[in-house]
Amino acid sequence: VTTRRDFLKVSLLAGSALAIGFRFDDEAEAADAPARFQPNGWVRIEADGTVTLTVGKSEMGQGVRTSLPMILADELEADWSSIRIEQASPSTQFSRLGTGGSFSVAGSWTPLRKAGATAREMLISAAAARLVVDRASLRAELGFVIHDASERRVSYGELTAAAAALPVPADVPLKKTGEFRIIGQPTRRTDGREIVTGQARYGVDVRVPGLRFATIVRPPVMGGSVKAFDATRAKKVKGVRAVVRVSAGVAIVADNTWAALKAREVLDVTFEAGPHAAFSSATHARRMTEAATQSGFSTRKDGAGTATVMKSMAAVYQYPFYAHATLETMNTTADVRERSCEIWSPTQAPNDVQTRVAALLGMAPEAVTVHVTLMGGGFGRRLGWDYALEAAEVSKAAGGGPVQVLWTRADDMKHGYFQAASLHQMSAGFDADGKLVAWSHKKVSSPHNARRTPTAEQMRDPIFFRDISWGVYDVPYDIASVETSYVPVETPVPIGPWRAVFSPSSTFARESFFDELAEAAGADPIQFRLDHLGGAEKLTAGELTIERPRLRRVLEVLRTRSDWGKPLPKGSGRGMACNVYDGETHVAYAAEVTVRAGKVRVDRVVCVLDCGLIVNPLGIESQIEGGVIWSLSSALKGSITFANGAAEQSSYRDFEVLRIDETPRIEVHLIPSHGEVPFGVGEPTVPPMVPALVNAIYAATGQRIRTLPVRLEN
Amino acid sequence: MAAIRLTVNGTSETVDVDADMPLLWVLRDTLGMTGTKYGCGVGVCGACTILDGDRAVRACQVPAAEAQGKRYTTIEGLSKDGSHPCQRAWLDEDVSQCGYCQAGMIMTTCALLKRKARPTDADIDDALKDSVCRCGTYVRIRKAVHTAARLGGAK
Repeated sequence: VTTRRDFLKVSLLAGSALAIGFRFDDEAEAADAPARFQPNGWVRIEADGTVTLTVGKSEMGQGVRTSLPMILADELEADWSSIRIEQASPSTQFSRLGTGGSFSVAGSWTPLRKAGATAREMLISAAAARLVVDRASLRAELGFVIHDASERRVSYGELTAAAAALPVPADVPLKKTGEFRIIGQPTRRTDGREIVTGQARYGVDVRVPGLRFATIVRPPVMGGSVKAFDATRAKKVKGVRAVVRVSAGVAIVADNTWAALKAREVLDVTFEAGPHAAFSSATHARRMTEAATQSGFSTRKDGAGTATVMKSMAAVYQYPFYAHATLETMNTTADVRERSCEIWSPTQAPNDVQTRVAALLGMAPEAVTVHVTLMGGGFGRRLGWDYALEAAEVSKAAGGGPVQVLWTRADDMKHGYFQAASLHQMSAGFDADGKLVAWSHKKVSSPHNARRTPTAEQMRDPIFFRDISWGVYDVPYDIASVETSYVPVETPVPIGPWRAVFSPSSTFARESFFDELAEAAGADPIQFRLDHLGGAEKLTAGELTIERPRLRRVLEVLRTRSDWGKPLPKGSGRGMACNVYDGETHVAYAAEVTVRAGKVRVDRVVCVLDCGLIVNPLGIESQIEGGVIWSLSSALKGSITFANGAAEQSSYRDFEVLRIDETPRIEVHLIPSHGEVPFGVGEPTVPPMVPALVNAIYAATGQRIRTLPVRLEN
Repeated sequence: MAAIRLTVNGTSETVDVDADMPLLWVLRDTLGMTGTKYGCGVGVCGACTILDGDRAVRACQVPAAEAQGKRYTTIEGLSKDGSHPCQRAWLDEDVSQCGYCQAGMIMTTCALLKRKARPTDADIDDALKDSVCRCGTYVRIRKAVHTAARLGGAK
């Protein structure tokens, strides 16, 4: 069974993370080792008291370099102001560093707490020996071990040598929820100062001695190839060092980026278009419409045939392709040497980069060092290793030495992988009493194919399709008959993870159609949802468990906080939607819009979110604000269209995103901790925003939006 | 190739580059100042915004030849420790997510505050509407501009 986590290759920071017996590779470092305390890969305390915490997740703006150290530091009882952050590189110790699925905090929660608590308990033991007191009479607090009875305190720094000599305990006590002093506190980003002073180093900022800069001229048509090229003119551009053929196209290597960019304009190159030259979004949309007549794979079937339908409704929703359009374009710096390779990459998948670069170069993985840089946005795009592999290829083809391959904005817009287009065939039935008794949602779309192609076995397996149908099969509502299905459609478009992955399109269709049903039933949209969240408190759908009382609570808070029901001026409207992401994070939005001359202005967004235990409220609010803007961009601004086998967009001019002057007021209400563990936030904030928006547009105009992006009649 | 003299963050620099090389690459590749970011190269995202005197310009749209004799300020020139009012405001409001666009946002804000010491929301929107933040930090940017104004960012 493929769970969504296997699918995203997201992993727990478990097991190896707590491996005992750190080894120093460096002799000089080994000499210092006695004074340094490092019980595991996550915590290192120097004799001067410096606490260095390792971050095993990639920072792309989601705040992991803040939230993860907060968890460690809290259990360690470190002084937050004294900590330093270090980024993990793949190694035997850090064999599972992938970042995605909004799983960083949730997946790291227990391992990091254990790592911090282990260090804390060892420091307490060291202090007990030093002060010759019972360890039960000691407590750790803010970088000190304190003996209250004698009013003595020893700093962590003074205890490093003694603690390092102790055996690492297997089982340590963890703090109780009420004992946290860092977890739960609004905490500013640890990278803030580096960012605002221009010192933060992203992938494109890597500068190493002898660095050369490269660009790749790629076949314009998907699946095309280079037929022939003549480097004569390109090589005449001053600063150009090499023009080499690589799998992605023709690479131009130069002394500076500008020389490479200039040379690409004069490179003589011809391409084979390949088999997809006739592909367009319009043909793909027709293909999806045709496919919708198939029954596809059943992804859920509850109580089918038990309901007597007296009145039925149906609608078709359509969702386009989107690009990630991270502000930092794809890039990687690679230095291929005789028997080793060094990579600096803004990557969400450092272990994949390491193993695949090693395979490409015929080296052992240990011969490839991967430095994870900060990234200028990720959103799922940097789970791909394509741009890192090609940098290694270019460095090798150009004779070795460090080369930075930079994608232009147009490369990035046209040659990445994309959020899949989809079509949703919705239908529902009411019985003679007007009660909603039947629900059917058929999704027509394409599985991910960019990083891995689904196997033939997967393509026959209904469970595989169920597990890529988030937002469809996990419809939370209590309806007598629920039938969901998936019809796969082939596409030459590379498809891969995009913020919230499979959920945004499904939730758009589900929550918009549910609004249509509420209206048909003459019911208030929030009340209509609450009325269908009765029944069993826990709903099991596939491997997920939906807790309906939590979703009801989120909706009830939304009703109060959004001034639901309060009249708005003519031309304005209010709409809402909700979702349970992956059975974990519960989110509801209300949006207020004003529509004038076919133009939508979003005035206000209210978000209510329950993500379990709250680690960093300031970071969560940030992610919600970001999720709102991301979603409004997708609904109101650009999408990716294809013509003649190529994406038509090339910059933010034609793939528009929301700007500051279009940004609504955003109000956030976090449901206080419901449970002992935290759940993800980055992705869950996305799916219900778009349907809340289109439901508001309907309330304002009477125009039902069933196709994205929103294009209104005047 | 031509020797071009320009002043960056108060330091006089002479660079020997193609006359048409955008200032963005002069800063990043020739002078090694990577705080100014490449986002689109066609002047639509604002990530490379720097100050030409008191005026915000897109470094990707200024050919090196036009930089001759000019005085520029980049993000690195505000302060190294984050003490400039605009930097402090950005830290106070915890604006950054990925942070990649923020140098451009901050430099645009510096130019705005020099023009208008206490901008309204409308002034802020107008000044920053040509700058892209894909993470969606706009709400906090607005707050931070007001905070920067209060902290004396106009100076």
